[in-house]
Amino acid sequence: MNPEHLVSLTLTRHFSASPERVFDAWLNPETARGWLFTTPASQSHSTEIDARVGGAWRIADRREGVDFVALGEYLEIDRPGLLVFTFGMPQFSPEFCRVTVEIESDGAGCRLTLTQKPVPADARPGLEEGWSTMFDKLAEVVR
Amino acid sequence: MVSNQDIGLDRVFHALSDPTRRAMLASLKSGEQSIGQLSAPFSMSFPAASKHVRVLETAGLVRRRVEGRAHLCRIQAAPLASADAWLRFYADLWSEQLAVLDALLKSEDAATAARQPTDTPNAPKGPRP
Repeated sequence: MNPEHLVSLTLTRHFSASPERVFDAWLNPETARGWLFTTPASQSHSTEIDARVGGAWRIADRREGVDFVALGEYLEIDRPGLLVFTFGMPQFSPEFCRVTVEIESDGAGCRLTLTQKPVPADARPGLEEGWSTMFDKLAEVVR
Repeated sequence: MVSNQDIGLDRVFHALSDPTRRAMLASLKSGEQSIGQLSAPFSMSFPAASKHVRVLETAGLVRRRVEGRAHLCRIQAAPLASADAWLRFYADLWSEQLAVLDALLKSEDAATAARQPTDTPNAPKGPRP
């Protein structure tokens, strides 16, 4: 594998909905509740979104009696083209990623490009364990 | 999935965040090289190159052995595989998320379209799909 490809991940998807609707789906708690970090198997779910730069977001999803919490902070909000936020699951790891969502008009719908970059951090004790636990738990949450 | 012993991903990503170190890794893919050989494509002193190699070593991406006066570096595949697994994991997570969002928006559209013809006052309620 090429080290150049391991710095971040990027994926794109076409939506038949307008850029505004797709953008709002990330920040409107009502809509986000229907898709963001939830599964049909979730027993209870809470979505808290403070949709302003510097505002926090927190999503808790309970599955098999365990709460899985994802949270972060909004860094840039420019409707409908750009949303940047941090994302982490601190119960498993102090590590955070930076997620960038870019939305542009594409025919009748729009094209969304998502980029996730690890936020490089100094080595911290316990982090190694945190990573693998996070992967295992996160895999449980999303499957 | 990712196992316990081959983690240290923050160090791996820190090491990979620098273009010089990525270029060094790329050139190590063709085989073992001395620090002198590694630094050759860059206008860089030996200590500067050695410092980059140390970061790669700390991340477990490179193993160094001393042969005579030469420090020979060899690439280590496992941490790269971990980093790759990490990125793939999140790529899968996000593509799944976006697929759910797409389905959600489409079902909203379908609900709106189904409602429209029968939503006028006093209109008879026809069967819905």
